[in-house]
Formats: sequence, C-alpha cells, structure tokens
Amino acid sequence: MNCRTLLISALVLATASFGYGFDLGGLGKSLGSSDDKLTRGLDTAKDLGKVVKGIAGIGPEEEKAIGDSVALEIVGKYGGLVRDVAIMQRVNLVGRSLASFSDRPDLSWRFAVLDSNTVNAFSAPAGYVFITRGLYELAADDDALAGILGHEIAHITGKHALNIVAKGDALAGATSQLVKRSGNLRALDSQLQQFDIGVGQITKTLFETGFAPQTEYSADKIGHALARVTGYAPGGLRGVLGVLQRRGSNPSLKVFSTHPPLGDRIGRLPDEPATLSAQVAGKAVSSAGQKTSSLPAGKVDADDEAFAKGAK
Amino acid sequence: MKSHSVLRLWPAVFLLAAAVSIDAALTAGGVAYTKRYKTALLAEPTPQAKATGELAFAQKVKVEQIQGNWLRVSAGSTSGWVFLGSLSETKPDEGKGLDGAPLLASSTTATAAARPLTPAADEYSQRRNLGSASDDLNWLLNQCSAITAKQVETYMKTNKKGEYQ
Repeated sequence: MNCRTLLISALVLATASFGYGFDLGGLGKSLGSSDDKLTRGLDTAKDLGKVVKGIAGIGPEEEKAIGDSVALEIVGKYGGLVRDVAIMQRVNLVGRSLASFSDRPDLSWRFAVLDSNTVNAFSAPAGYVFITRGLYELAADDDALAGILGHEIAHITGKHALNIVAKGDALAGATSQLVKRSGNLRALDSQLQQFDIGVGQITKTLFETGFAPQTEYSADKIGHALARVTGYAPGGLRGVLGVLQRRGSNPSLKVFSTHPPLGDRIGRLPDEPATLSAQVAGKAVSSAGQKTSSLPAGKVDADDEAFAKGAK
Repeated sequence: MKSHSVLRLWPAVFLLAAAVSIDAALTAGGVAYTKRYKTALLAEPTPQAKATGELAFAQKVKVEQIQGNWLRVSAGSTSGWVFLGSLSETKPDEGKGLDGAPLLASSTTATAAARPLTPAADEYSQRRNLGSASDDLNWLLNQCSAITAKQVETYMKTNKKGEYQ
C-alpha cells in the first residue's frame, strides 16, 4: 500500500467520523435514526473523499453547476449578451457543427456573443462558449469563426477549467452537497463559500492569469484539427490571429489578453488556407458547380428567418 | 521525493497525449472508439447510404479500411462505414449521460439544450447579484433549445460540413 492510498484511507476514515457527528443546523434532529446519521456521514465522507480523486470526482451534475455559475460571471463581466437572434443562430450552427465531432458531442453546447468590444473568447464547463463582439466582428467568415470556436471547444473537452478546481479544496464535494441537499442550502454556509471560492478560481484564470501556455497551444492544435475534420478551412484560426497581429497592438483595446503572444500561437499553427476558396484554388481542383455557402456575418437568410420564427 | 516528481509530470503527459491523439491518423488495422450515444454504421461511405448496424457509446471498433474521411470498421460480426469525425483514438471516459442519468435519457441534443440553469447557479446568481446575467443566460438557453438537431444537420448539408463534405 503506497503513501497515496494510505492518505486517502486516513482522510476517508477521518471525514466519516466528522460527518457522523456533524449536525447541519438541526438536520441531525430531523433525521431521527442512527442509521440515517451514518448514511449522511458516509455520504459526507464520500463527497470529501472526492478531493483526493481530483477531476474524477466532478461528475456531470457538478460540472453543470460549476459551468452555469462561471457562465454567469463571464456574461456579467463582459457587458451581457448580444441579443441578436441571427447572430446567435449563426454562432450556434457553426459551433454545434464543430462540437458534434468533438470528444464530447453529447454535451449541451451553447454559443453566444458578449456585448464587449474587447477581442477575446471564453469557455465555461458543461458546454458554454462565448466570443466577444470585438472578436466576432473580426471573423470575416465561417472558417475564421470555426477556428475560434474550435479552440474554446477544446478547452471544454479537455476539462481545462475543471482541472483548476480539481486541485482546490472540497469544491467537488461542496457541489455534491448542494445537489443532494438542496432543501437545506442555508445550513451549508461553509460549503457555499467553498463553491464560490472554486468558481472564483476558474474566473481568475479566465479573466486574469489565463491558462498555462501549453494548455493554450494544445487547445489551438485540437481546435485546428476539429475545424479541419468538420470541413472548415484549417487555417481559419491562424488567419484571424494574423489579422490581429497585422493590426498591431492598441493598448486601449484588449486583444486576447489572457492568451500567449499572437506570434507564438501563429508560429505553432501550420500555414494553411484560411478560407475554403483559397484551399480549393491551392489544390487546383476542378469543381465547377460545387459551391460551399457560408452564412455572412450578421445577415439573415431565408433559413435563418424560419429559425427565428421558431420553425421546426 | 522521486514519486512526487513523477506525479508532477502526469498533467503534461495527459495534455501531450490528448494533443497527439487528435492529430495522429487512424490507420487500417488499428482500433478506434465511438464518441456518441449512438453511431450508425452505413453500407457505403456516404451519409445517404443505408444503415447496416448501430454502435453504442464508447464501443471499440477495428479499422478495416480508410477512404478519404470515411472508415470501414467492424465490431464483432457487424461492420460498416463511419465518418472520421465520429470516432476517437481514445476511449471516452463518460459512462453516464451528461445529466447524470443513464445515456438513454440524454440521447437527444434538443432535450439536452432545453435544460434550465441549475438551482445551485440560480442561488449563486443571487449571492453575486448577477440577476441581469441570469436573464441573459436564460434567454440563451431558450434560444438554443429552439435550434434543433435537424436544423444543425440541414446547415451541415447545405454548407457541406461533416459527413456531407
């Protein structure tokens, strides 16, 4: 038995005892039998035991609670959402096409544009992807948009944000407590504080420090592969980054402030066509009559109108 | 201690493995895994082909043949064609549906997209005075639930994405 196993065993035994004697503001009295108390204690021990299991202890329900809360912070910080149905539909059609070939195709994927002129994109656990209006307006076509969204999808499929809190204190256990005992939330002040701290750890990374450079480069690579397999031009992301680099830095306009330098990211991505038309021209393929359409940014076509009216 | 040094390397190892596995080509004779709740096997390498069978979530298959973006795979006595993007070189680690229920209950994208904010998030928004953000997210959830899987498929057909390339 190695040191790690001994630590886990000791922690579970200690917390089982703690849980057995812990009275959640009168909950113990309402439970009645000693068997109920033992069950609650063991539940507490199992939840707290998730701390040492790391990310494996954050299940679907926990991920949703964390993801929803992080999404609230993102929307709150970046000016709310652009409530333009046509734009919302465009980003969701492109985004869900990509996500359907990601490693987590059955998540509840949701894509939205934040009402901010900064240039950035964010993701939150459980399938939320946000792109600022400043960046959305720079994505001239679906290939560029797909490159951006593919990168953010990779953060979610890689559970990069969840990795942050998996190393933290009792977040997974605290979230499970919230899920299991929703009728006694007021009695769980300490667990609520832990939950808020955990969400704060994620948003601090998203808004201030950024993920580690290797994590960002990995997301670039995976997002690039995802865009390519879905059928978008493989150089979409590189093309957008190149546009930003050519525009130069504007101190008043935050550009991917939480990501590695543009030049580093561009250098690590293969130099490939940024649009499908450039790709076809480069291959010199005769494709008379075959045209790949793309929803223009901000414009509505007949299908979009039908979608907007709720047509099925 | 040596064991701690080794443990510190694991996150980097996983990240590297993830990056490599996505770009590494699936090869004939190799294995792959399904990523979706259900994956149809087709008689030919085209989305309009007749279905010859169905694969379950995280099912291991043998890659028999590769033709462009399509792979002919086999699982036991069942075989057929699958689009490349529907397979992974690594086995997915989720055994349950994304709402915690068995996969059968979370099989449709439309159903999954229609879920409201979690009670924990509702409470969080109150503690953090994020009422406006909560309104925005609820608007987003409603809008997203109106975009059906069928509409996404129509978009991919029209724009030649995914299996329709």
